[in-house]
Amino acid sequence: MLDAPKKPLVRVENLKMHFPIFRGVLKRQVGAVKAVDGISFDVFEGETLGLVGESGCGKSTVGRCVLRLYEVTGGSITIDGTDIATLSGADLRAKRPEMQMIFQDPQASLNPRMTVGSIISEPLDEHEHMTRDEKRAKVGELMDAVGLARRFADRYPHEFSGGQRQRIGIARALALNPKFIVCDEPIAALDVSIQAQVVNLLEDLQEKFGLTYLFISHDLSMVRHLATRVAVMYLGRLVELGDAETLYMAPRHPYTQALLSAVPNPDPAQAGHIERIILEGDVPSPANPPPGCTFSTRCPRAQAVCKQDSPAWREIGEGHFAACHFIE
Amino acid sequence: MLNFTLRRLMFTIPTLLLISFIIFLILDLAPNDPTGNLPLTIPPEVRAQIRTSLGLDEPMYWRYLLWCKQFFINEPLNLLNQWFGWCIGDCENRLRVTSFLTRSPVVDLIAERMPQTLWVVGMSYVVGVLIALPIGVISAYKQYSWFDQFGTLIAMIGFSVPTFFTGVLMIVIFSVMIPQDSMFWLPSIYDTTLKVVDWPSFVQQMRQMAMPVMVLALFNAAHISRFMRASMLDNLSQDYVRTARAKGLKEKTVLLVHVLRNSMIPVVTVIALGIPQVFGGAIITEQIFKVNGLGQLLIIGIQNSDIPLVQTLTFLFAVLIVIFNLVADVLYGLLDPRIRYD
Amino acid sequence: MKLKYLVAGTLGAALLSTTAMAQMERGRDGNANIIYWQAASTLNPYLSGGTKDIDAASMVLEPLAHYDENGNMVPTLVDEIPTVANGGVSADLTSITWKLSEGLKWSDGTPVTSADVVFTANYCMDETGGCQQSAKFGGVKSVEALDDLTVKITFDGPKPFPYGPFVGATTPILQAAQFANCMGTAAPTCTEQNFGPIGTGPFTVTEFRANDTISLAANPNYRDPSKPAFATLTFKGGGDAAAAARSVLETGEFDYAWNLQLAPEVLADMEAKGQGTVLSGFGPLVERLMINLTDPDPKWGDERSTVAHPHPFMTDPAVRQALSMAIDRPLLVEIGYGKAGKVTCNVLPSPAIYDSPNNAGCEVQDIAGANALLDEAGWVRGADGVREKDGVRLSILYQTSTNAVRQDFQALIKQWWAEIGVETELKNIDAAVFFGGDQSSPDTFQKLYADVEMYANNFDGTDPEAYMGNWQCSEIPSPDNAWLGGNMPRYCNPDYDKLVKEMAGTADINERARLAIAMNDMLMQSYTIIPLVHRGNVAARSNTLEGVKLNVWDSDLWNVADWSRAK
Ligand SMILES: Nc1ncnc2c1ncn2[C@@H]1O[C@H](COP(=O)(O)OP(=O)(O)OP(=O)(O)O)[C@@H](O)[C@H]1O
Ligand code: SF4
Ligand SMILES: [Mg+2]
Repeated sequence: MLDAPKKPLVRVENLKMHFPIFRGVLKRQVGAVKAVDGISFDVFEGETLGLVGESGCGKSTVGRCVLRLYEVTGGSITIDGTDIATLSGADLRAKRPEMQMIFQDPQASLNPRMTVGSIISEPLDEHEHMTRDEKRAKVGELMDAVGLARRFADRYPHEFSGGQRQRIGIARALALNPKFIVCDEPIAALDVSIQAQVVNLLEDLQEKFGLTYLFISHDLSMVRHLATRVAVMYLGRLVELGDAETLYMAPRHPYTQALLSAVPNPDPAQAGHIERIILEGDVPSPANPPPGCTFSTRCPRAQAVCKQDSPAWREIGEGHFAACHFIE
Repeated sequence: MLNFTLRRLMFTIPTLLLISFIIFLILDLAPNDPTGNLPLTIPPEVRAQIRTSLGLDEPMYWRYLLWCKQFFINEPLNLLNQWFGWCIGDCENRLRVTSFLTRSPVVDLIAERMPQTLWVVGMSYVVGVLIALPIGVISAYKQYSWFDQFGTLIAMIGFSVPTFFTGVLMIVIFSVMIPQDSMFWLPSIYDTTLKVVDWPSFVQQMRQMAMPVMVLALFNAAHISRFMRASMLDNLSQDYVRTARAKGLKEKTVLLVHVLRNSMIPVVTVIALGIPQVFGGAIITEQIFKVNGLGQLLIIGIQNSDIPLVQTLTFLFAVLIVIFNLVADVLYGLLDPRIRYD
Repeated sequence: MKLKYLVAGTLGAALLSTTAMAQMERGRDGNANIIYWQAASTLNPYLSGGTKDIDAASMVLEPLAHYDENGNMVPTLVDEIPTVANGGVSADLTSITWKLSEGLKWSDGTPVTSADVVFTANYCMDETGGCQQSAKFGGVKSVEALDDLTVKITFDGPKPFPYGPFVGATTPILQAAQFANCMGTAAPTCTEQNFGPIGTGPFTVTEFRANDTISLAANPNYRDPSKPAFATLTFKGGGDAAAAARSVLETGEFDYAWNLQLAPEVLADMEAKGQGTVLSGFGPLVERLMINLTDPDPKWGDERSTVAHPHPFMTDPAVRQALSMAIDRPLLVEIGYGKAGKVTCNVLPSPAIYDSPNNAGCEVQDIAGANALLDEAGWVRGADGVREKDGVRLSILYQTSTNAVRQDFQALIKQWWAEIGVETELKNIDAAVFFGGDQSSPDTFQKLYADVEMYANNFDGTDPEAYMGNWQCSEIPSPDNAWLGGNMPRYCNPDYDKLVKEMAGTADINERARLAIAMNDMLMQSYTIIPLVHRGNVAARSNTLEGVKLNVWDSDLWNVADWSRAK
């Protein structure tokens, strides 16, 4: 796994996304939600990077920023050699086909007034010059690829089941032959029985088309199964990133440890090692994060220094990064 | 959809009959008297005679049935006669719904007023919608920008400042303060007899419509732009909009094809539901500018206890409201594939 | 040379005379705009009692004689007014004979004949037609044509004032040919006729839009070839008095606006713009208090406010007089009516010959005097300041119609009455109900379920006989006569009734005036009716409009034929 020289397809550096808060009669800006506050990571070609964290920690925001669905506040996002953080207009649109997204809620992510066929073929109109028949053929291929009957092309999204809808979402994401796909909790809204089907589909497609995934989820077991490497997020920042196996076996950051302690370990031999750590208190508001280490309000190992100094994002082992004052 | 429409239409018939009866009942119970507005110099015996001649001595149910017959049978037959020259039954002496006040057929009075009401109130609705939609769209797209703030302010003014204030204000500015020979001077009194035959008379018509239309359009635009904005905001934050952006569509396409089309669904319904009000006229604005449309007709009817007139007008409004409710439902079904009535 | 001068001379003369002709030509002044803030509903005054309709119709239809701005009769379709002296009125006062002028034509060119007059009388006297002017034909036994131009109206008894039918704008002559099929129950079905009557007046109808606008054009067959000066005329209706005033006085869009009952200062401000002039004229309209001499206490059930139960304290003349003395009439005029009002101490203040000189003094408020009067009459102030006697408290329910000025008056009068120890409860009722005459409503002005009520009333034309007849015993409204009758105070005085009878048999105008004044004085000096304000009519005309004479005795537009544009 470590032999081939790894080439980052996506490089995120010091990414920041602050949402302004408007208040009062005149709706003036009074502050900002620091949904993402300075994070850096790479996604290597062909891999699946898992992004985990509690609800509200900013995972989706990261995913959307990386695809430039937001105007980012700061930092750079380099995809395939181009920094897209500052691109706009036609340049950005030209870059879009390379990167796509699969959303959590397949219903909400499909325009209710468009048929499945036009949802899938719409990006083709924009980016490819195809005849109608070519388009129809392409739509058919895509529907085959995701396991949908071609005759459904004239139906509207609401006429499908959740699993089918997510397949439509995947088909349309694939339409422009992207290299990189952000999957934002693509299975969270589905029945457990269908989750496996969709995950398998994603894996098959990755193999078939050589896709690179940023896989966002709070289902830690699923991430372990799917991801090559895993990044853990807390309150707008990354706290630990490492090889999936290493991270799950030996989490270093107190937050990762707490998070993983709640997951039933598939390896009974290891089961005894990790005690369940229960975190006290609530997650602070991203509009007003605590000074120093953002985890310091809940960290069982917190010291005085944690409340003042923000821990640096350091490499603590081969390809293993973390942000904590007390990790060697 | 067709079945649904037909079913609904069938259901409206008893509904409307009931409505017409209730209207009649309310009018009958109102402590009002068609001779009440006559000068005091008219002696009571004469008043009694007048009441008799108006048929007010008959029992209530009889007068209602008479109205039903006149309205549902005689009036349509008369229309056939007027439009196609078909004569069914005794078309010379057919008793039509007759106004107490003018002693002329109510339907003719209504027809006479339709043009100015449609011109002024209808135009103000169209203008209002045309102003409201872009304002709503831009306000939502640039939420909290100065444009949005300004739009909110205008909407607030439109909502809260009554038309009798804006109307008189405009008259004071455009008819009183601006000298009559200036090209910006606008007439404060609407000339219903003006016929548009050539360019100058068209200009004249535009000038006399300008103030009432603007006053009402502001009011209408205030409502509709808020709806448009809210609906746009609802949709702008939806995932499918992100999908559209992720597809690499032009921002214009995202906005106009994806967001706007979906946002229009509720707005179109609201617009359709508002159309009966156009026919209802704008009582106050019509009064201020002396447009003398349906609104003014209704108010005169009420003031003079002109029961047949008020009954017929109110009933026609009820019909329009019921119909446009149906239209709104059907439109909703047509626009939103998620809705199926059958 | 001579010839040249001659030619030039005749040419010049011809030119001069054509310009002179042009000046006097019919229709020389183009269009005039009249605004009535109440729109006309019909042009048949027999089917409408509304002033707006009668006025509008008066431009088209004409009676035999008019009243001028001073209340004097002037011949219209006749050459002279019939009187006893000229033999037109029979010596026994039971008939009057009118003689139409020669050569009169309807606007369609056909001759006007006595048959038209007879037809019109029959039209209105047909009981099934709902004629709203039938009171004008009260006492008419027959109307017959003696020849093509002579009409004789016979009354069922002596009629000392036989000028009811066909005098004034309310009873104009209809064209028999046009209305032949509109008699009785057919009257309301004749929309075309009612909206476009053929008349003898200066204008003819080109378009009638009910409750909106009437377009008129000069009548080509009008008897005076130089009139009217305006070729066309627009009679616009709708809006409100303020807007109508504005359109004449401020924007100058209209030439004449009718009935501008506006706050005095508002009119003054508008007039200051210099576009037009405010006109006022005083008819017989008097805002008055009617004292209820019977007991309105609900405990009497059906006999409430009937003569069966005299009022517990209003029957005391001292109380009534004190109520009147406490009122500051000049102040009421000032705040309520301005130019459109005058103080009056008579219920019959005009025409001038009927205005009694015997009641002056009410102009000055006299609270002290009123208090003294009540003290003297034995009304003692109780602990709460309200006077009482033998357990009867001076506590008054004071009702009127809903109207801003009336409510101001109520508030002021309540305060003045409080100063003389009278407690007042105010009530206002929607005008349509108050004046509506609905038998089932307890709030009509006839039922008078209150101690005092306030409203204004007047009479048509110039003759007060019928008006003064309102206060006879027989005119008292009660359940027995379905609450009809104009004697709201329930005043019953045989001496008064005697005067009424006497007037009914008197033809001499001066003698009639003496009787009317005597009746007025009886009512005034018994303080049964307390006059407050003599109200006038207010109108506005553009400064470019000439010939307008505001006439309170007839239509505002009575002399529209004489109106012209200032050069
Ligand atoms: N458009 C926005 N405007 C303002 N605040 C936002 C916006 N989008 C997200 N946020 C805030 O940013 C923070 C991170 O949101 P985000 O949706 O990225 O969380 P998440 O990790 O994806 O949560 P979940 O697992 O529930 O999907 C939250 O506090 C959220 O309220
Ligand atoms: S830096 Fe301090 S507070 Fe933050 S994780 Fe490490 S020990 Fe906990
Ligand atoms: Mg999320």
